[in-house]
Amino acid sequence: MKKDCIGSVILSWLFFMILSIPANGQETTGIFEQPLLITSAGQNAEVQIAAVLAKRAGLDYFLSKRATPEDLETVKTLVFVLGASLKGLGAAGLDMDKERARVLDLAAAAQKKRIPMLCLHLGGEARRGGQTDDLISEILPLAKMLIVVRSGNGDGFFTRLCRQQNIPLVEVEKPADAQIPLQKIFQ
Amino acid sequence: MTPSCRKPREDSPAPSADRHAPFNYTGRRAMVVAAHPLAVEAGLKMLRNGGNAVDAAIATASALNAAEPFASGIGGGGFMVIHLAGEKRTTVISFRERAPLLASPRMFKDKGEEEKDWRTASGLAVAVPGALAGWDLALRKYGTRPLAEALAEAIAIAEHGYIISPTFSDISKEEYERLIKNLPQGSGYLNDGLPYEPGDRFRNPDLARTLRQIAARGVEEFYRGKIARKIVAAVQDKQGIMTLEDLASYEAVEVEPLQGTYKNLTIVAAPPPASGGLHLIQFLNIIERWPVGAWRLNSAAYVHHLSEALRFIFADRELYLGDPESVPVPVRELISKDHAAAVASLVRDDRPLDAYPATGLKAKEKDAANTTHLCVIDEAGNIVSLTQSINDFFGTGIVPEGTGILLNDHMDDFASDPESINAPGAGRRPVSFMAPLIIFKEDKPFMALGSPGGARIFSSLTQIILNVTEFGMSLDEAIEAPRFFSFSEGGKAASIEVESRLPEAVIRTLREMGQEVDVLKAYDKHFGGAQGIMILRDKGILHGGADSRRDGIGAGY
Repeated sequence: MKKDCIGSVILSWLFFMILSIPANGQETTGIFEQPLLITSAGQNAEVQIAAVLAKRAGLDYFLSKRATPEDLETVKTLVFVLGASLKGLGAAGLDMDKERARVLDLAAAAQKKRIPMLCLHLGGEARRGGQTDDLISEILPLAKMLIVVRSGNGDGFFTRLCRQQNIPLVEVEKPADAQIPLQKIFQ
Repeated sequence: MTPSCRKPREDSPAPSADRHAPFNYTGRRAMVVAAHPLAVEAGLKMLRNGGNAVDAAIATASALNAAEPFASGIGGGGFMVIHLAGEKRTTVISFRERAPLLASPRMFKDKGEEEKDWRTASGLAVAVPGALAGWDLALRKYGTRPLAEALAEAIAIAEHGYIISPTFSDISKEEYERLIKNLPQGSGYLNDGLPYEPGDRFRNPDLARTLRQIAARGVEEFYRGKIARKIVAAVQDKQGIMTLEDLASYEAVEVEPLQGTYKNLTIVAAPPPASGGLHLIQFLNIIERWPVGAWRLNSAAYVHHLSEALRFIFADRELYLGDPESVPVPVRELISKDHAAAVASLVRDDRPLDAYPATGLKAKEKDAANTTHLCVIDEAGNIVSLTQSINDFFGTGIVPEGTGILLNDHMDDFASDPESINAPGAGRRPVSFMAPLIIFKEDKPFMALGSPGGARIFSSLTQIILNVTEFGMSLDEAIEAPRFFSFSEGGKAASIEVESRLPEAVIRTLREMGQEVDVLKAYDKHFGGAQGIMILRDKGILHGGADSRRDGIGAGY
């Protein structure tokens, strides 16, 4: 029984390791440094899930849903959680134009400070569509890597964008599965 | 059965594989429509076992607590409209929550914060729940079965569990921040601390145990017993002011329904503090002045005129709507044809007005597509139209220890302004947008209808009614058709929110007229999730319509 349990754990670990291999085979272990700033690109609800996953992965992070360039002072990695939410924008007192301006401003500041960006898309198919896709198309090319829930990439949208920009892409089955790749990619 | 599979039942042929394709469930003698297939099964089982429409409605309502816990349950309240065929009489049971006795008009302002968190995610947000008291009153007066029997299927659903739908999963993710703030550690409402994914299995043994206790000992257990003590402890632990006396003194009430007309229809609705029915009657009164039949469905003229009417109605709401037990509400004046004529005469054909009657009420930016609705018709022709809610999805996210009960955040339906007619106060009931309806045509029951959707409820239901009566749609076609919404705040027009299925040319024309238009996705649940039953007397059949914007389904025989 015990051997079966150990075997199951090893198999599960292998399974996640295989899932964590970027689609284009690029090496991604330890390519980001801590601490990290997690923010939303679109005021989605998944930014909170990303924070929980970062905590479980033992990462040194802080969460700011409406982060500005000033928040980059003490971080080594900027994490954007992608996806527009009307409800989230309303709660934040923003519209899509203001949110886009904030996100692009923050991305530009990160580039200027040579802080690499990691993108996460955890909302699946439900978090795709016009406004989300437009913002993704602007932000993702600036990123060093993407982790995406598979159902959000059913039409190959992320695959095409990443291939064009030579960005490593890791697909996971569900948000909880992003924890292990997150652990791997940070030093 | 998974909620995403609209499996046919009884008399109905198979629905299309496209869940959005209009499909009318059919029956000849009885029918149940609700927002979850397990809840519909519960209601139908009760009817098959000889229960009447009220018995079946409570079985369905309690099953919804188990199957769709984020949208309603014993931690909340609602309203039901009941038509008693034998007596040719319609009545209303109001089980709207009440503010705790320690509530005061300044309670939110005095906390020094008007931020949404206080009003939606703290103990202060919890109003005294009324659902169980309402179900119990309805059964005692008009049912034929005891509460324990009505709760049986709900207990089974909570105990055995079911497969999570994309709707449940999406809503969990939207509300995740509030859930992790307030849910107890290890709560079953999260899957190992994260939102459930579609296909996961969800069980709620705590809720099953709670419902069993209530079934065994009666509603006293909830309002005066161990459960009451747990509710108060949980609320006060999160800075709330509810006491045991609040729960012990809660009573659901039976009231006279509100009535209005539209052409040859008579609309019967719950009166204030339910405002949805009143506003729907106002809306139809105004529309009756216009040649809507001549305008194409969702043409620019149609959308423009109806949006202008909505803005006036919201201005009335801010000035006049409160709990009639505490403040005078000029109901007769508001639903008069004269008032509608005056409003209609102000609307311009070619552009929006510059201003609407001044209000000062700030829009609720977190007004979500919450709540749930069900309809039942039994073989005797009794009809129940019931809407119930815990306000925002998952309510406050506060769950009294070991009970599985999600407590509402309906105190957020009160105004922040202490001077407002809808300010909180001891024992007051907050104004609600809920609008369960029974509609008569030439004095005979024609339709039962209702919807969740917060501020959009009455607008969505009006559009459904017009789709049937003015544009000749079947019930489910009417429900699935694209919708729009607007309102006013501070005397100024808000944008018109439309589903993306509205033609581009219409959106362009509206913008050229000076209207601001926001395009939301097709079938966005922001516009509600209506359920209805239509009686087609000439064909001797019932048609059930269930909104694909949520997991709506129907069944009949």
